[in-house]
Amino acid sequence: MFRRLLPLAVGLFLAANNLLAAQTRDQMVLTDRDNVLGGGKWIYNDFTKGLDEAARTGKPLLVVLRCVP
Amino acid sequence: MACSAFDGQLVRYDFELQKLMEQFVRVRVVQGNALDLSLFQFDTDLTFAAFFLNADRTVYGRFGTRSEQKRADKDITLEGFREALAGALELHRNYPANKSALLGKQPLPVKFKTPEQYPGLAGKFTATLDFSTNKVARSCIHCHQVGEAQRRLFRADSQSIPDDVLYPWPVPDVIGLSLDPKAKAKVASVAAGSAALNAGFKTGDELVSLEGQPLLSIADVQWVLHHAKDPATLKAAVRRDGRPLELTLQLGKSWRQKSDISWRSTTWDLRRMALGGLVLKELDEAARSQLALPDTALALRVYHVGEYGDHAVAKKAGFKKQDIVVSCDDLTQRMSESDLLHHLLQKRMPGSRVPVTVLRGNEKLTLELPLQ
Repeated sequence: MFRRLLPLAVGLFLAANNLLAAQTRDQMVLTDRDNVLGGGKWIYNDFTKGLDEAARTGKPLLVVLRCVP
Repeated sequence: MACSAFDGQLVRYDFELQKLMEQFVRVRVVQGNALDLSLFQFDTDLTFAAFFLNADRTVYGRFGTRSEQKRADKDITLEGFREALAGALELHRNYPANKSALLGKQPLPVKFKTPEQYPGLAGKFTATLDFSTNKVARSCIHCHQVGEAQRRLFRADSQSIPDDVLYPWPVPDVIGLSLDPKAKAKVASVAAGSAALNAGFKTGDELVSLEGQPLLSIADVQWVLHHAKDPATLKAAVRRDGRPLELTLQLGKSWRQKSDISWRSTTWDLRRMALGGLVLKELDEAARSQLALPDTALALRVYHVGEYGDHAVAKKAGFKKQDIVVSCDDLTQRMSESDLLHHLLQKRMPGSRVPVTVLRGNEKLTLELPLQ
């Protein structure tokens, strides 16, 4: 009985682990977005808006490409 | 400091950066999806990269360098970033009078304008992220996937992966120049016997421009190296003890092959193609001595055996963790994992099978490794 249930238990453990890891990665992106938008100092994920703003103000652009998770 | 810590200080707006940062329009992009590859050309193995641009899309410079997996502070620092910001502002003040000097820094034409146009990524991603809980990470094209998709094009057409694709964005150390990450491009040391030493570089030299391109960071040096020919002659303008100096770098044939690509995320996919999912590490001298293997002999220990899907090909072929590879495709001379990847990805096409001899305990076994 134990031998038959062991692979199932291992499978469930791995699936739960993967789910937890995925949630953590998602949460990292969502938290980053909240922090950036909350801070109000960065244009978030909208390069065109940044270009327009740079053209309007005459400022140069700083574009950060960030792989969060 | 890891990349995440460095990035966190920028997002929180480190007070020392504040005065410089406020002079820029600041944009944060967290997705590869719909990224304009005709403009944003950078080392896709980075998890943090920055561009300094004019509103007309002229590139002033780039920032972001990595040469190993764990220690980001070896290559990027806040001090170096401040120097790059200040340098970009100076270029902006002098623009467009300096436009001709910036020509070499501009992006080159690309085959695919966005990542999701690559055959390996097409149909799997949309142009926007799905911010629903539990979906956002999966909906994102990660930058390293662009590099992988690029290499898969060659493999799919049964072509050799060329050196400039296999060894992208060479760090200056490859030509013997170790640059100080706290400065724009200041020489920290020069390696013995290197192209940099032969050119006359000395510790403390400030590299002002390379091939006429003004430099804001180590990444700008990498941009020049990334596009340099093989072999190449590069002109460098240097400031030494306050005096200007012109130096000439002669890069010999196959100069890129000194690059270590083992740290790169995209190398995981190269291991799938060439090594069936194995990760190999060089044996240390003590282990070599214990096994009576000469200094000149190939000796790569199997550090990891892939378990799933296409990464389990070597496992299915009989390879085991701790095996020691002493011959591969009839090559027996000492080489690194990067060297072996180079050989297999340039000389052997998908579908071929190469003989590999391994030491396992007291046994010597010959296995057959299928390439993908």
